[in-house]
Amino acid sequence: MTDIFRIATRDELWLHGRLVESRLSHGEAIHDERGITAADSRDDALVAQCEREIERMRELVPKDARVRIVANASSDGVSTTMTVGIAGLSIVTSPEHVANDVELLRGVAAIEPEGEVIDARGIPIVWRNGSAAVLLHEAIGHAMEHEQAPIELPPWLEVGVALRVRRATFRDVPLLRMSDVIARCGAAAPAARAAVGGGPTLDVLLVAGGMYEPLTQTVTLRIAAADYDSRRLPPFEIRTTRDRIEILGAEGDPIRYPGVVCSREGQELVVGSFAPVMVTRFA
Amino acid sequence: MKEIYRKRGSVVRWENGTLVRVTESGVAIEEDGVFTCHPERSEGPPALSIAHPAIPLPDGIRIERLIVTHGIAHHEFEDRAWSDETKRFHMSLVKGSIRALIDRAEDVPRIADALQRAEQQERNAPPRLRLSPNVSAALLPALVGLAPPNVELLQAAGGIDGKGNAIVEAGDHWPNWYRPSYRIRPIRMPLNLCLRCDVTGIEPDRPLAVALLAPLDGLTMRVLIDDGRNAYPATVRVTRIDAVASETVWYPYGGGSFGAEMML
Repeated sequence: MTDIFRIATRDELWLHGRLVESRLSHGEAIHDERGITAADSRDDALVAQCEREIERMRELVPKDARVRIVANASSDGVSTTMTVGIAGLSIVTSPEHVANDVELLRGVAAIEPEGEVIDARGIPIVWRNGSAAVLLHEAIGHAMEHEQAPIELPPWLEVGVALRVRRATFRDVPLLRMSDVIARCGAAAPAARAAVGGGPTLDVLLVAGGMYEPLTQTVTLRIAAADYDSRRLPPFEIRTTRDRIEILGAEGDPIRYPGVVCSREGQELVVGSFAPVMVTRFA
Repeated sequence: MKEIYRKRGSVVRWENGTLVRVTESGVAIEEDGVFTCHPERSEGPPALSIAHPAIPLPDGIRIERLIVTHGIAHHEFEDRAWSDETKRFHMSLVKGSIRALIDRAEDVPRIADALQRAEQQERNAPPRLRLSPNVSAALLPALVGLAPPNVELLQAAGGIDGKGNAIVEAGDHWPNWYRPSYRIRPIRMPLNLCLRCDVTGIEPDRPLAVALLAPLDGLTMRVLIDDGRNAYPATVRVTRIDAVASETVWYPYGGGSFGAEMML
């Protein structure tokens, strides 16, 4: 059986309202029993779609930020991504959500970190702004990609991980990858306030990145912005094995987290990420 | 000033059991601080071929990742034109929870043998040890600006850079340009790094770090150590270098790196 994949991509980098890089890429991959034969052939319709989308995003580029805009039109559909960086923090968003997400980013970036990093072990962590989706992406999604056994979840938490064969460019070998992670909590979930008890909490606001090590089932999360005891912490890392993640509570509807570009085998793909406010603790 | 670079080429690779053939050509333009690039003219499929890698391994070890690449590229920049041919090998081998990273096919038997004997438990690194060339090559890019005073980190002369200039020997102010793809804006950085030290004698009975178990984190390396009887994972923080052997082997780390047996 022969599978034909076509793609066109336009990406641009804007620094403080000035264009500094612009790339067009297009190509076709024919996958059959002999393997993949790929060339940079052009599909005018896909290129035109990209140009329309990039034009739309240019109008929305914030003038005080580092912004990468990417329009992708392929056999898999059309996608638009805006990565906005301010003061060393960044979000990944779309034209539909960029205004709200940049407002969130500016709010988080307005507060300077102070003091020392704390040891997060044993402290209730409240994952805000949908950031719990990143934890679940690493601990559940990547483990599923590696066909590892699921971890036990509380009965009131449902984590939907959509997997499908995806590829970043026509040069890449398609892999089974996440497309969306959506967590929902039921009515029986302990509310965040009840779950944390009376002590101080560590409130995660933005996550810089994450990693899953399948050999040891270790999850590593680089926290870009978090508050503890009325102060903004410097960036820090949480590292734990999957079986040491204790989910204590959750509340509210799933919140779209602005920022999961997942990299595996050198292929970067955007993964839709949604989670309610969630409380966890690591041993 | 306007700079125009063109590249066309073909690459064939085995990636985890899938054969991939890619043909591409494109142009990159830098003008007034703006970098743009796009495909320029498509050609037929590559005429290159590559054999399916067959690599015998000891029992108890599995291949997690295997990528073998062969490529040919033709470049033009201003009035200069040049060609190059590249062959790359990347493999990760796994035993239990240990992953060894390998970037040269010739290193596989030695690393696989040590990995087969490896304990899973991490031990403290011995106070004195040797680094094999594949490990020291990975270290060199991290030593830029941080090399101890008794060694000299240099860019070795040889080859052509991303703007068609000859790569010259240099110790700082890196004069050459790194451009791994026409889609990537070229940057000045050291290419073909090597390390010189007045002391070149290596004590052969010191334990040997035979492989990286993870990418470097600054000057900290998680490595597989073989002391001749036992092999085990350990974390090494490089703070001093006692000797660097004269014989070197090239590895594709950073903009290229000549590894040599090294004594810490």
